[in-house]
Amino acid sequence: MKKLFAVTLGILTAFGGFVDIGDLVANAVVGSRFGLSLVWVVVVGIVGICLFAEMSGRIAAVSQRPVFDLVRERLGPRAGLVNLGASFFINALTLAAEIGGASLALELATGVNYLLWVPLVALVAWLVMWRVKFETMERIFGLMGLGLVVFLVALWKLGPDWGELAHQLTRPPQDEGLPTYFYYAIALLGGAMTPYEVFFFSSGGVEERWTSKDLVTERANVFVGFPLGGLLSIGIAACAATLFMPVEAVPDSLGQMVLPVAAGLGKVALGVVILGVFAATFGATLETALSSGYSLSQYFGWQWGKYVQPARAARFHVVVLAVTIVATALILTTIDPIMVTEYSLVFSAAALPLTYLPVLMIANDPDYMGDKVNGRFSNALGMVYMVLLLVVAVAAVPLMLATKAGQ
Amino acid sequence: MSAPRRALLTGAALLAAFGPAACVSPAWDDHDYALKAGKTAEAAASAVQLARTAVRHEDGTTRQYLKVVLTEAADDLGNVNDQFGGVQPPSDASERLRGEVTDLTEKAEDEVHDLLDQVRRDRVRDPAGAVRDLGEIAGRLSAFAERHK
Amino acid sequence: MTEHARTLHARLHLLDRQVASTDEDRLICKVDDLEVRTGDGPFPYVTAILSGPLALGPRIGGVAGWLMAEVDRLFRDDPSGEPYRIAMGRVTEIGSAVRVAGQPRDLALERWLARNVVGRIPGAPRPEHEEDAATEPEALEAQEVAEGRARREDGETLRMSTLLARVVRDDSGNVVGNVVDVRLVQDGPLLDGVQLAFRLAGFVVARRRAGQLFGYERAHRDGHPALVAAVVRRLHGEIRYADWDEVASLGDGEVRLRVPWERLRMLDDL
Repeated sequence: MKKLFAVTLGILTAFGGFVDIGDLVANAVVGSRFGLSLVWVVVVGIVGICLFAEMSGRIAAVSQRPVFDLVRERLGPRAGLVNLGASFFINALTLAAEIGGASLALELATGVNYLLWVPLVALVAWLVMWRVKFETMERIFGLMGLGLVVFLVALWKLGPDWGELAHQLTRPPQDEGLPTYFYYAIALLGGAMTPYEVFFFSSGGVEERWTSKDLVTERANVFVGFPLGGLLSIGIAACAATLFMPVEAVPDSLGQMVLPVAAGLGKVALGVVILGVFAATFGATLETALSSGYSLSQYFGWQWGKYVQPARAARFHVVVLAVTIVATALILTTIDPIMVTEYSLVFSAAALPLTYLPVLMIANDPDYMGDKVNGRFSNALGMVYMVLLLVVAVAAVPLMLATKAGQ
Repeated sequence: MSAPRRALLTGAALLAAFGPAACVSPAWDDHDYALKAGKTAEAAASAVQLARTAVRHEDGTTRQYLKVVLTEAADDLGNVNDQFGGVQPPSDASERLRGEVTDLTEKAEDEVHDLLDQVRRDRVRDPAGAVRDLGEIAGRLSAFAERHK
Repeated sequence: MTEHARTLHARLHLLDRQVASTDEDRLICKVDDLEVRTGDGPFPYVTAILSGPLALGPRIGGVAGWLMAEVDRLFRDDPSGEPYRIAMGRVTEIGSAVRVAGQPRDLALERWLARNVVGRIPGAPRPEHEEDAATEPEALEAQEVAEGRARREDGETLRMSTLLARVVRDDSGNVVGNVVDVRLVQDGPLLDGVQLAFRLAGFVVARRRAGQLFGYERAHRDGHPALVAAVVRRLHGEIRYADWDEVASLGDGEVRLRVPWERLRMLDDL
């Protein structure tokens, strides 16, 4: 049990990448339209986020410097500011969507319209960030979110044709265009590797006071959390491929995407999965709101973090509060949360290289890392991903326009 | 996605610049109109199938949950109807096509609304029958979509 | 003192690093700029870390930089227009963060928000030294402002950022490149009676202007992702080092050399 507690930071971080509100629905959409033919993208995403999260966590443990410190230090004030602007904008949009997502989960559980839940969700989220200890926070929501594991059980209960699923792995369906296919590939990869994950993960490492002695914990977080998140996202796609694809139904809401669990396992499991969805989206709410504060504070060198008294990190807490208020107002305009993340995912894909390049550079800098610099394997893989991320960054927005966001 | 949400979304200044794909442009000729009719039928079929799947596994769901899912399906269908209704048919042939599609989508909308009323009061009275009816409508919508690709 | 004085590169090792206090593990600010004193002895040397919007704003420039400085003005009572300043004599360690001794006061915006926003939200525990915090900073601030003024009066100062990206001309006045980094050696005058100042030892000059070097000019370091290093080096063209002895003047926003480009040492030879 103690070991499980040690990896909750990784689990909570991974929710933001693989099973937050946008990804939950995107995975179901992809499963119902493309079967399992995009699973390889999720695998590429898992490897990529593990690689860079491990580097950023290792840097945080060895030098106590979180990711946005590195961005500012290597890119300088101007390019750093561009990255800050883009990241902050994406964070705020995603935060709005996550607040909406957690409220939608409550609507599913209670039947009360989600808009009524929005202010309450935002208030509770802020209270958690204001008062609850970082470790307590990550444990509660990290473990609750494991309720999503019922998707994997449901898949088994639905009794899919495993041969057919395996066949889909390599065959995209004929009736979908190639641009649409690649649009979803980029959305999935952008989702899996969103920058706020490394902001949150590395800052969380500093919040937890990691040192060079905690590298084992750090790696355990990375190699348990992210693959687990990725596995859940594949499970969701497989459920959709089993239940929805044969009847050509494409889910576009949170309620529809949990239907396979109800179909496979019944009411109790439905309750568990809704709880899991709530925890994952609420966890992602905390992740994105805190990441806004982290990135801004770290760019300007302000005192940040929950490990000091709020009055000692006044600017950080004011940023978190302000961004929560703005995001709540945005979602109360009844803008569709799921649509919001679809756009922010693609924009974040365009901003990826600006975040991961400084991480790769510092992970090689002995001034920071001493003898804990990257090995050859990490560097070779890191370079492959830098090239891949550049391609993704260039292709993201044109593909979105060309396919009308995957229609 | 419910109608007010999508409508407001479309108007949202933030995303207006990127042209949300929910907008429907006017039809230029019969072929174009037929394509739009096909797309409409496809979207409606998807919504009907989702509702049908939910009703089929009705015993595994709670009432609140079923209500939310059916409301979404009803809203989606209403939305599809509204959008397609806004496109002017360019000829008499297109006019007939329009009748064919709207007959089906409106029937689907009625059926889902009816189920929703039942759920609001209690539970679905005859799940097996509803599954059969929805399946039949979805089948016809899909067949139509297939013909007008 | 060790026989080999510590050598740093201003942009690579100092600028944009986090400043933290040694005593209480508190994050204070970034090294937004460095104050360099010229015209006082044979070498210019670094006298202080500058921080806050008034130091960062000019580096960013444009609307964003202006906006930053203006917002800061709203929250400060001191109209001097001087950026937040930490004397180099207080620096105890330069590593992944720059550590400074003592308890430097917080920047204006932090103090204002702590007092007027965060302090008023229910549930915010008061910081232990709140009473001191209310009175002490003014005295400290006055002292620091006075110190800064005194320093400016007895010598010219300039900001490190204005040295970076300067055009470099050779002895016959031809443009030969741009400054990409400034080399500092810790064997300058004694600061505050505790440690030696970092003096300006020379300039790293690149043929082409292509932003930062990220330390990749120091070739053959193990482990660097080779492709990144190759791309960065390629973008900059030939890189050479101009020692302070080879610099004629720093006038007119340029760096004038005494010698032709070919006489400068290649960076790899250092």
